[in-house]
Amino acid sequence: MTVDLAHYLAVSGIIFGIGVAIALSKRNVVAVLMGIELMLNASNLAFLAFSRFSGAFQDGTEPLAGHTFVVFVLTVAAAEAAVALAMAVLIYRRRETVDLDRISVLRW
Amino acid sequence: MTDLLGNDLNLQYELLGPEIALVITAALVLFADAFRRELKIGQSAIPAISILGLVVALLLSLLWIDENKDFARLVTIDNFTTFFRVLFIAVTVVVIIGSHEYIERRVSHLGEFYSLLLLSTVGAMLMAGARDLLTAYLAIEVMSFSLYILVSLAKSDTRSGEASLKYVLLGGVASAMLLYGLSFLYGVGGSTQYTEIAAALSDGTSTLELPLLLGLALIIAGLGFKASAVPFHMWTPDAYEGAPIPITAYLSATSKAATFALLLRWFAGPLLPAIDSWQWMISVLAVLTMVIGNLVALQQSNIKRLLAYSSIGQVGFMLMAIVTISDQTGSALLLHLSGYIITNLAVFMGVIAFYNRTGREEIVAFRGLAQTNPYLALVITAGLFSLAGMPLLAGFLTKFILFQSVVSGGYTWLVVTALLASTVSLYYYLQVIRQMYMYQPEGDASRWRLSPTGYLATGAMLVGVVWVGVYAAPFYTAADRAIAPLFT
Amino acid sequence: MDSVGVVIAFYVLSAITIVSAASIFLLRNLVHAIVLLVVVFLGMAGLFLTLSADFIAVAQILIYAGAISVLFVFAVMLTPLASRDNGNSLYAGPGLLLGGAIAAIVVVTAFDVEWNQLTGVALEQRSFTDTIEVIGNQLLGPHVLAFEVASVLLLFALLGAIVLVTDPNNEDGTTAEEEAGKDTAVGGSE
Repeated sequence: MTVDLAHYLAVSGIIFGIGVAIALSKRNVVAVLMGIELMLNASNLAFLAFSRFSGAFQDGTEPLAGHTFVVFVLTVAAAEAAVALAMAVLIYRRRETVDLDRISVLRW
Repeated sequence: MTDLLGNDLNLQYELLGPEIALVITAALVLFADAFRRELKIGQSAIPAISILGLVVALLLSLLWIDENKDFARLVTIDNFTTFFRVLFIAVTVVVIIGSHEYIERRVSHLGEFYSLLLLSTVGAMLMAGARDLLTAYLAIEVMSFSLYILVSLAKSDTRSGEASLKYVLLGGVASAMLLYGLSFLYGVGGSTQYTEIAAALSDGTSTLELPLLLGLALIIAGLGFKASAVPFHMWTPDAYEGAPIPITAYLSATSKAATFALLLRWFAGPLLPAIDSWQWMISVLAVLTMVIGNLVALQQSNIKRLLAYSSIGQVGFMLMAIVTISDQTGSALLLHLSGYIITNLAVFMGVIAFYNRTGREEIVAFRGLAQTNPYLALVITAGLFSLAGMPLLAGFLTKFILFQSVVSGGYTWLVVTALLASTVSLYYYLQVIRQMYMYQPEGDASRWRLSPTGYLATGAMLVGVVWVGVYAAPFYTAADRAIAPLFT
Repeated sequence: MDSVGVVIAFYVLSAITIVSAASIFLLRNLVHAIVLLVVVFLGMAGLFLTLSADFIAVAQILIYAGAISVLFVFAVMLTPLASRDNGNSLYAGPGLLLGGAIAAIVVVTAFDVEWNQLTGVALEQRSFTDTIEVIGNQLLGPHVLAFEVASVLLLFALLGAIVLVTDPNNEDGTTAEEEAGKDTAVGGSE
């Protein structure tokens, strides 16, 4: 019994799908953001799985480019969470709600 | 410096001169704003510093005309990059000149506003130049993050915060999709370098067609969002309506052009070998975008929303050039993109000047503008006619060349759809023009004038619209030279 | 990768991660959902370890499980009057459908495709014993620009977050006066 690329990709796909479902169907801004973080995490898993298993790399260092990519995704994810949550707090201050169904002066 | 394999890395920082200059200017603007009292400078010093920095960046980018170099194999500095650098800098300059009055009055956090504007220009420039997936991804995020915040900076407007929240949430989902697609591209192509991916995709990916298709679908979804292509356009009308108008103008120009620069780089470069997998996706997207964008525009009553849907329709036309990608359609796309940006900025500068005076943005508010301010009515009319594709104006010529190149690329049915959509668009543009010329002004009908900078920005754009329409040869040559490095 | 330990670790960690992620969707209490989010992050870190990505695993624990989840808790605490309900919006149906479709497509693709992947000795050789050194070199060598751009991005994201939550009304005098003075322009549209 072995675990290979397909297994990791399957897990990342399932997490990504759950992330999409959460991000698109939750009412609370904080919950939507959790979905986005799950999607980013799934991408990270895919990157790392490819750099571990993929045979497409031409030379010895390219595999670790995936790791470097993930480092930057972590950075961006942190920045994104900070900005989006700040925005949620801003909206809350004006409306006392973070419910996307009720934040609807603008039509979607 | 060398990389781990001992390849020499070309760390020539002067290649990134414009970007570095803009980041430094952004920082200076922040400091100047924070210490405005101590330095005893007025509010208008801040846009002045920004424009100074932009001019320096413009000169620095002109240094690299007809060069073809790369910075550490991460950013290519060729004519394509230079073309977009100049375009983005010009857009930012026009937006700052045309709207500093609006910004001073209606935007909170002045210093941050200008520095984020400069930063998002840096992101856009890097998007056009990147030759590495990681650099491109970060460039996209730099541009998007600045825009997320800029959209929320309209003062005392509840729509602004809401618009930016929707923008950041949907933008986050789109970025994550793009990233997941990139991970597949990385796995299949075995590298983050465009050139290596192109090489890997062109020799035998037969067993990996499915993951490549999946990755492409995710990438197109993510970029479709950034370009506001239907069905990924939901954020566009809201962000356009809620944002401060200068940012709406900026979104419709730079953000769109940067996405198309990236699309050209990717689809003419690393993804070209996989053309059979993505050509149909983009053509479906193009048809949906131009049909739905133009049809929904018919029912809009707010000028910003109208322009949002009209810009969605325009994206559909531009996507056609990606479907039939070649050096001919590529240069037609660059020409159309510049013509569209000049035209759109003309309309937006007019709308900003109008809003400064009246504080209104419904289409009915434009009633009788031809009597109260004939010059402004002329500018907006010229812009709208150009968007609709009337002869003698920029929109006609660039659209004609674009459509012609797509026909010779073998996609006549796409162009027929585009012509129909274009006819529909004439109707809603005429609605606005009718309000200005056919109705009496409501209430106060006294004549009014624009501010000097208002005249400068609208005048320059009006001249641009006519110039491109009548004598486009210089633009055509520039577009030709810019696209050449992509197809060698 | 023949070691039984790794295989068991993979299945256990995947199960934990997927179940926790799914529970985030199902749970009705937002605070419980955040706790489960931390569990997902930790499970992911474990999965990263089984891929020999030790540095990323540690960074994941520090950044995601540590910092980002705290941000989420803060966001919930700073919005005290908002609902703690983790309910679905009007778009729940399409969202669930799309998520399910993507997950199904990826899973089918993953097992259906003949991946060009390393096996046996070649896989053993790519063991990533010194990832930190290589990542460090990449940050300052081949990917130096990304490093610089990311630092600018972080600075401005920080700035943006501060700007967003600063109430212009409570700032220094000039801004407040302007706010009061210019409101008439907007109000005058009636």
